[in-house]
This record gives sequence, structure tokens and C-alpha cells, in this order.
Amino acid sequence: MTGTALDAAPYFDVADPSFSITSAAVHEARERSWYARTNYGLAVLRYEELNRLLKHPKLRQGSVAWPSHNGVTEGPFADWWDSWILNKEGEEHHRLRRLMNPAFSPKLIKDLVPRFQALATELIDNFAEPGRCEFISEFAEPYAARVIAIMLGIPEDEWKAVSTDAATIGLAMGVTLRQDLPKIEEALDRLYRYSDDLIADRRRNPREDFVTRLVEASRDTDKLSDAELRDGLVLLIFGGFDTTRNQLGLALQTFVDHPDQWRLLAERPELGGKAVEEVMRVNPTTRWVTREAVEDFTFQDLEIEAGTTIHLWTEAAGTDPRVFGGNPFDITAERKPHFGFGGGAHHCLGHFVARSDMSEALPLLAKRLRDPKIAEGAEWLPDSGNTGPVRLPLTFTPAS
Amino acid sequence: MKVTVDMSLCQDHGQCAIASPAVFRMDDEGRLVYEGEPDESLRDEVEEAADVCPVQAIFIDG
Ligand code: HEM
Ligand code: HEM
Ligand code: SF4
Repeated sequence: MTGTALDAAPYFDVADPSFSITSAAVHEARERSWYARTNYGLAVLRYEELNRLLKHPKLRQGSVAWPSHNGVTEGPFADWWDSWILNKEGEEHHRLRRLMNPAFSPKLIKDLVPRFQALATELIDNFAEPGRCEFISEFAEPYAARVIAIMLGIPEDEWKAVSTDAATIGLAMGVTLRQDLPKIEEALDRLYRYSDDLIADRRRNPREDFVTRLVEASRDTDKLSDAELRDGLVLLIFGGFDTTRNQLGLALQTFVDHPDQWRLLAERPELGGKAVEEVMRVNPTTRWVTREAVEDFTFQDLEIEAGTTIHLWTEAAGTDPRVFGGNPFDITAERKPHFGFGGGAHHCLGHFVARSDMSEALPLLAKRLRDPKIAEGAEWLPDSGNTGPVRLPLTFTPAS
Repeated sequence: MKVTVDMSLCQDHGQCAIASPAVFRMDDEGRLVYEGEPDESLRDEVEEAADVCPVQAIFIDG
């Protein structure tokens, strides 16, 4: 297996602004080797290997080191980051999942479907001009934010303030984390106060809603503390917002390239769920999922040292010809699962919501926006870790 | 109570083992093993496990 000897493995500089994680170079590398090396560690390129490593007992979630890599080791931001469920392991992580999971039950989310449909219809009805829109600011962003407002049971007209703070906290993703820190901590503080008010309100006036369920969540005699509840709510605002907005933008990008599939979706709205899966296979917003080796171990022929960062490249695996053949984009095909929501113990907590809201939005969009094309002026995040369009002007033939 | 997991669907995410460690467990290889006829007293947590499974592979009979 010379192709997998450490020195023979392909290498990518993933911090280079011109690097694209979905480029032909990456796909060619996948044909030579199941992994590549990068300036962050290892990158896994093939479906079977990714699937095994995603849930491997010798690996933990790997995002925990981000603030300290950027020189931020104390203060409210670092504390909040450490509190974050994605950054917890073992029994501590399990306890939080056990307490939070029931609020995300697929049974409860079913009841929200009519509200998702009404929201999508309202946003399309309100496009400023017939036959064109800026898809991110006129649809994807308000849709993602207001779905969260619906879940949290906050007035939908407050989504703007909340999403502005969420976007500010999003600056933490960038390499300017240190300079942005004062702004980020202010936004975090506002979201904390907002969350505290919500929690206090639902304690006094329980409702049939998501926040009440979290507040009342218990397992045997264990409950979420006030601090855990507030960290949890801020996390949901953040974790569900950028991801859903970006994934919807990427869905449109894919369908613009496959007009026959878009027409099919308009005719058969029941394919909405499969459309979401197929988009996330070939065009996932989370281009990599991070893991870190807890101890030395050998996988295939490769010795992996404790502390190694392993990025699982979701698009490369989702288009792996070993599993998907020529992998035409086809929303009617039966496919093996994609990795767009990660997996294992840290599998996305919000996936039933995200799947449900996107599978309602896409068929409605397909019906109303016929033959969409990307117009001048689109802007994109770099094609690495997390990606999507920042601006996506579309032209289309309006339909009712 | 009888529990079956459709192993053609199961992806070894282990969310069931978090929800109901008395019935579901991940082995050293990270693969699911489970108890097919758990005691009735475990019903609540088994239902929670079925609910949370990302691919909805867990079925409860009776
Ligand atoms: C299209 C939308 C979304 C995508 C693509 C997405 C993707 C992901 C991914 C890849 C992970 C990491 C999994 C891993 O490390 O294996 C994750 C974790 C998580 N997601 Fe999502 N997500 C989305 C929507 C949401 C929503 C709507 C919520 C909440 C309402 C949410 C809450 C979470 C939480 C709390 C975690 C951490 C879970 C843990 O560590 O146990 N996500 N998500
Ligand atoms: C529930 C909340 C959130 C979810 C679900 C989420 C989702 C994700 C996902 C899926 C990834 C890539 C997968 C991975 O690294 O395993 C990621 C990476 C990252 N996220 Fe988020 N995000 C959330 C909140 C945040 C927040 C609040 C921040 C910053 C304040 C943040 C900063 C980052 C950074 C810096 C990375 C790259 C880390 C690395 O690759 O080592 N995320 N996030
Ligand atoms: S949660 Fe579902 S997919 Fe995961 S191990 Fe259990 S049964 Fe299998």
C-alpha cells in the first residue's frame, strides 16, 4: 500500500485562501489515498474510512482547542466555549444529551410543519421584486432565524436583533477572534440576558413549547441548572442559524445546476426530505467534521498519535465513487447516509428540526421560483470548514 | 417488552446507548450491542432511545 505511506500521502494547505475542498485536486487525491495531510493534521477523503473514524472510540470531538489556539484562554467567551455541549466528552456530555434530546424529539417537531410552510410562503410572497431576489437576505437568513424564533417561542419580529448578535458571535469562527473579542463578548452578554429572561418566564408561565420542555427536562432526579439552560439556549440560537442559512443557500446552488431535478421537486413535494439528503451528500455546508485522537492507535496502515487533529471531509466522502458510482445528483435515488450532520455521540442535536424545516422550504421554493439562475454579484465564504453563499442573487420565472 | 434494531439501518451513532445505557451499549469496536428483551421497568428510557435514534432504527413491540 505505497499510496498510504505517510510520506506519499497527498498534502493540502487548507489555510491558503485559494484552496477549495471540493476541487478536482481533492477528488484526484481521494483516488490515490484514503487520507491526505494538511497543515492542521489529517484529512479523511473516502466514505468507508470516514464512516469508521466518525464514530471511532479512540477519537473525541476536536473543536475544543479553537479558542486557545487563538490565544483566548479566559473570560466569558472561553468559559462559554467550554460549556458548549460539542466540547464536552464522556459522562458529562452524555448527561447533557440525555437531558436535552427529548426537547428535540421528532414527534414534537412534526407539529411545527404547518408553521414552517406558512413562514416559507410569507417570505416568498414578500420578495421585493417579481422574478428576482437576493436569496440569502430575502429567504435563507430570515427563514433560519425565524424557525429558531418559532422553536424558542419568542416573537418572530425579534428575530432580527437575535440574529445580529448570533452573527457577531459567528466572528469567533474567523482568524480575527482576538481582535473581535470585545464585540463578541458584548453580543454574548445580550444573548445571555435574553435567554435568562426566557427561562424565567417559562418557569413562571409554562407553555406547550420547546423552552418549557428544556426547563422541565429531568432524568431521575437530575435537571439542567440555570447556567446550563442558558448556555444551551445561546448554543441553539447559534448552532441552528448559520448552518441552516448556509445549507439552504447551497441547496439552491445545486438545484440551479440541475433544473430537471428542481422541476421534479416542484411536481412532487413529497420528495422534499430526499432532496435535503441528496443536497447534503454532494454539497454539505459543514465541509469537515473535526475529531482528535485521545490515544495512539493504528487505523488501516496508519499510526495516529494522541492529539492528532483529524478532519473528516464530508463532500469528498459523499461523492466517493466507491460508494456512489458516477454519483449523479438524483433526488429519487436510494442512497447511503451522508455525513453533513456529523455522527456518533456528537451527532447534530438539531437535525430533526433542520431536516424538517428544509424539506418544507425546498419544494415550496421549487414551485414558486421556476428555472432559477444565479445572477451577477454572488459572494461566497471560502470553500473550507464551513461554507455557503454570503449573497446569492437569483433570477427566476415567478409562479403561484 | 421486545426491542429490535434494524441493523441494515443502524449507523452505530450510539445515541441509544446514551439514552438507555442499561439496554444499549457500544462495544470496543464502536459497534452496537443490545438486550432484545429488557425488563418492563426500563420502558421509559427505551422509548427515549427509539425516539432519539438519528436514523429511527429502533422498534419496540408490546
Ligand atoms: C442544516 C443545518 C445544520 C447542519 C448542517 C448541522 C451540522 C452539525 C454538525 C456537522 C455537527 C457536529 C457533529 C459531529 O461532530 O459529529 C452538529 C452538532 C450540533 N448541532 Fe447541528 N447542524 C444544523 C442545524 C442545527 C440546528 C437547527 C440545531 C439546534 C436547534 C443544531 C444544534 C447542534 C448541536 C447542539 C450540536 C452539538 C451536539 C453535541 O456535541 O452533542 N444544529 N451540527
Ligand atoms: C450549536 C452550536 C454550533 C454548531 C452546531 C456548530 C457547528 C459547527 C460545525 C458542524 C463545525 C465543523 C465541524 C467540526 O469541527 O466538528 C464547526 C466548527 C467550528 N465552529 Fe461552529 N457551530 C456552533 C457554534 C459555534 C460557535 C458559537 C462558535 C464560535 C463562537 C463556533 C466556532 C467554530 C469554529 C471556530 C469551528 C472550527 C473549529 C475546528 O475546525 O477546529 N461554532 N461548528
Ligand atoms: S442510535 Fe440508532 S443508529 Fe445509533 S447505534 Fe443506536 S440504533 Fe444504531
